[in-house]
Amino acid sequence: MSRGCADYRMSRRAMLGATGATLLGLQVRHLLAYAGTDGEQKAEHVILFWNGGGMSHIDTWDPKPGRPTAGEFLPIDTSAPGVQISEIFPELSKQMHHAALIRSIAGTQGAHGQATYNLQTSYTQTPNIRHPGIGSVVTHEKPKIGDLPAFVSISGRAPKATYLGQRCEAYFVPQPGAQDPYLAFPEGITQTRGDRRLEILSKYNQRYASNKKAAALTATETAISDAVTLMRSPALEAFELNTVPTTTLNRYGDTTFGRGALLAKRLVETGVRFVQVNRGGFDTHSNNFPAMRGHGQAMDAALASLIADLHESGMLQKTLIIMLSEFGRTPKINMNAGRDHWPNVFSCFLAGGGIQGGQVIGSSDADGFDPHDRPVQVADLHATICHSLGIDPDKEVLTPLQRPMKLVDNGTPVAELFS
Amino acid sequence: MIKKSRWTIAILAVLSGTLSLGEAAEIPTIDEVLQTELRNGGVDREPLSPIDDLAYLRRVSVDLIGRIPTGAEIDEYMAWPAKVRRQQVVEKLLHHERFTDRWTVFFADLLRLRSNAEGGSALIAYVHKAVEDGMPYDELARRLISSGGKAGSVPEVGFILGDDADPMALAGITSQVFMGVRISCAQCHDHPFDKWTQKDFYGFAAYFGKTRRQERRINDRILGVYTTELPQSTVMWPPEGAVDDEDRRPMPPVFPISFVKEESPYRPLARLNQLREKSETPEPVASNEPSLDDLLAGAAKKANRQTAGSLGALDVFDEAKSDVREIDLKAAAYRNSELRAKLAELVTDPRNPYFSQSFVNRVWAELLGQGFVEPLDDFSDNNPASHPETLAFLADEFVANGFDLRQLVKMIVLSDAYRRSRADGLPEPDRLALERNFQAAPMRRMISEVLYDSIITAGHLFTVKHPEGQNLKTVWQESRMTKKPAGDDSINLAALESKPNANPAMSKTMTGPSAMTAKQSGYDFEKAIEIDFDAVLADAKAEDAIEVEQMMVKTPEELEAERLANEMKRQRMGYVDVFTRAIIDDNPTFSTAMRMPSPAPDGHFVRVFGQTDRNELGAERDQSPTMRQALMILNGQLTNEAARVGELEPIYPLISGKSPNLNAAITLAYREILTRKPTEADLETGREVIGLAETPQQGLADLRWVLLNSHEFRFLP
Repeated sequence: MSRGCADYRMSRRAMLGATGATLLGLQVRHLLAYAGTDGEQKAEHVILFWNGGGMSHIDTWDPKPGRPTAGEFLPIDTSAPGVQISEIFPELSKQMHHAALIRSIAGTQGAHGQATYNLQTSYTQTPNIRHPGIGSVVTHEKPKIGDLPAFVSISGRAPKATYLGQRCEAYFVPQPGAQDPYLAFPEGITQTRGDRRLEILSKYNQRYASNKKAAALTATETAISDAVTLMRSPALEAFELNTVPTTTLNRYGDTTFGRGALLAKRLVETGVRFVQVNRGGFDTHSNNFPAMRGHGQAMDAALASLIADLHESGMLQKTLIIMLSEFGRTPKINMNAGRDHWPNVFSCFLAGGGIQGGQVIGSSDADGFDPHDRPVQVADLHATICHSLGIDPDKEVLTPLQRPMKLVDNGTPVAELFS
Repeated sequence: MIKKSRWTIAILAVLSGTLSLGEAAEIPTIDEVLQTELRNGGVDREPLSPIDDLAYLRRVSVDLIGRIPTGAEIDEYMAWPAKVRRQQVVEKLLHHERFTDRWTVFFADLLRLRSNAEGGSALIAYVHKAVEDGMPYDELARRLISSGGKAGSVPEVGFILGDDADPMALAGITSQVFMGVRISCAQCHDHPFDKWTQKDFYGFAAYFGKTRRQERRINDRILGVYTTELPQSTVMWPPEGAVDDEDRRPMPPVFPISFVKEESPYRPLARLNQLREKSETPEPVASNEPSLDDLLAGAAKKANRQTAGSLGALDVFDEAKSDVREIDLKAAAYRNSELRAKLAELVTDPRNPYFSQSFVNRVWAELLGQGFVEPLDDFSDNNPASHPETLAFLADEFVANGFDLRQLVKMIVLSDAYRRSRADGLPEPDRLALERNFQAAPMRRMISEVLYDSIITAGHLFTVKHPEGQNLKTVWQESRMTKKPAGDDSINLAALESKPNANPAMSKTMTGPSAMTAKQSGYDFEKAIEIDFDAVLADAKAEDAIEVEQMMVKTPEELEAERLANEMKRQRMGYVDVFTRAIIDDNPTFSTAMRMPSPAPDGHFVRVFGQTDRNELGAERDQSPTMRQALMILNGQLTNEAARVGELEPIYPLISGKSPNLNAAITLAYREILTRKPTEADLETGREVIGLAETPQQGLADLRWVLLNSHEFRFLP
């Protein structure tokens, strides 16, 4: 984006009533944040780890040693000076100089449905409109690269694209390595026969469409040709994990989550814009600690290897990694050795994508009940993702009912992450 | 302006001598009204010619019964005299059982019906029954808006409970769904482009202000969800945060829409009255019996006292049980909502133009591909109808005919406007002008359920088409098997073999050993499991009786003990995933998509082709093409099986034997798939395609696959 454009926006905003110098200053920072300074490298891809159920913040990114709410895990030092995380992440602790934590997310929703909606779309759920997920937003704003779909969701569904249109829907991979039956001809149809069918179909459709000049037909042709291109693309190999050496699989921890992280890496390296890797089982109302130790084991090797590998291939700078969950969990440990829903404050993990590693943004209070300083709103996280990619989070799109909607619900990028 | 034009029509009618001697003017046809309106609007262009009779059959079958016509239906239709064939087929289709299925889908989209919402399945079954029985639309709307009670056993209450009985949500939904008025935009602020104020919205929401969603639980078990009516409204004015809470007062309900004051020339109101006098049925009267809530509350109180020992051995539960049995579960068990009953009357009042106009606008758009008002639910001074007189006329006729869906549909599909051909190849501005004035048909794609069912129809897949045992093959199935209880972990090892490398497609016709249930196969997103709507309604009532019994005859302690016992049983069971080899008869059949639980799961064929999740208010089906659609239809099991030639199909004798009759086979394929005769060029290409394959049967399957995947198949003629 040229400087002239940013100046124009600034003066327009100033005219619109940004009165005080401080306010104006904020706006300028905000504007520069997404407009980018000349020559600044922007991220091209996002890997979102979605931990469904509400992940305990105290047992992961925000340990409270010595406090009654600390729980069973001890904090450990990391490669980032002064930054401690839970002992369940021994390998990841060696990569924390690449990563940042936000420990002061101020959530507002305490029920799974509404909170998931809020964290995945930045909007509050209402019956009148459904908002698209952040993956669809990114897909809408950043053109597809290569043959593969721009947006892939692994081991679970991503939110719908709603008013951004079907082209921004996620391509769904039920499990990492799972074959999509629709990428090959049906059983019993040989390659020759399948190719012949496609060729004849193309002729039939051309004959039918030639005298009609209908946009619906042209769009259908495009969809078919996209599909055939994908079916025949060598890039599909990225989805296949059975050729990956065992040593690599083991390094990611040979779990569904590990294979998901590995698949995400292979996909972004092949050009996929946004990969969402889903994992459930964080709703630890009882027996929180054994469950979290198990999650730690699955996540530790996967995240550590992913960051190390992307860093080594030079892709880390171009790939934003972010791990989100719908809320945190009660600092107080309940009768069943569990923790319950806690939206008031929770944490998130980020790495790559131009983020300055080794830092912690904000903090929760002594026992992890509320934000202590620098509260970050949920929409700010979405604005941060947009900022990392050079997308204006305030850009408006029109819904089919011609209602203007911002890409992100009034979020401000967490600018410190990028300084 | 509107009235003047209406009078113009009446005067024209007088001049042409068609005015009857009765009170009302002779009713013109919809085409005459549209023609007059177009002429008065300065449109001098002639409409395009009508489509031929076969194309009409395809179009009207798709629109009325949700699938293309079968070969036999084509033969029957063409055997009728040309003069009466269209009227005759419309009569037949209006009373076809699939008309009910297809138009339940229409209502399901309109009313946002969801099988998985509270009472959702029962509500869909209820609407299905209403369409089947021809319940007048105003009656249906009144019941949905006003009823109260328990989800499931009072099926129509699913409409209120589907949105958790939230007054604000229901206000927006009721006005937009039933009147095409977007008052919900005024929830947070005065409407930006319309006349609705925030106070209008609150006044409207106040009709729902006393209604609450209530759960009946015993020990964490939800035994039922139902509506209840509070003594005091919860809708307060001014809005939250605008003033101190103590200054907020309950908002009195106000209906913001004014009714038309004068009867239009064709006297729809008088005609409706006349019609209804003939067939008046008494409204159900709310009784003054104690409500189920009261009885349940009483029983719970007694139960507590009994467990505390204060009531001794008195069997309160038997007593409560008989109390409950005495009340009529359906009509009087729950407090009825007077406010919502009042609102229902106002919304459905025949003098409320929004109610009738918004509905006929939707039906017109469903059948012609475009409404008079677009978006369909945005009636506003700022968004005037394209042809207001035609819309008003159609709405008046709908009212006069007793809000009858079938009569409305009949009137539209027998019109010339419905029969227009497409303006193929004309320059875009010309084409759009013709389409906008309903002088040409737009390019219209089948909706997803219809596409799905049409592929099944064309491919003879509703029933088996291969002889039994002809397609035996060996497959590996991953199954879930129950471990034997009581510590015996052994399973039948003879049934197990090592994991195969291939991942074969599976047929649904073969079921394994009875203890097993097959896990998802790769093509599950193309399956439809049919629901028996009558059984759903019957079950909902039976279940209710059982629940009441459970609540009454068992103490909470007993229920808890039962729950624990069940839990223990479950823990002892345990499952194991096994791979088994099975020989299956690969002879699949498919069920209609119209009767499956809806919305279908994300990723299902019908969702991929545009069925919405029915969550968002006003969401319309996205009919645009996507890559996923292409992948699913090009490489799917459904299209491939439909294309495969079965020995039990009528086409089989034509393509088998020493000298297959290629021309006859191609002709039949075109008839069954595209509802038309092949041209000479089609025949030639068809013979070529068949010649390229290894066998004529494979070649014919290839040709049929191409036709099923073609533009011509999914876009209407």
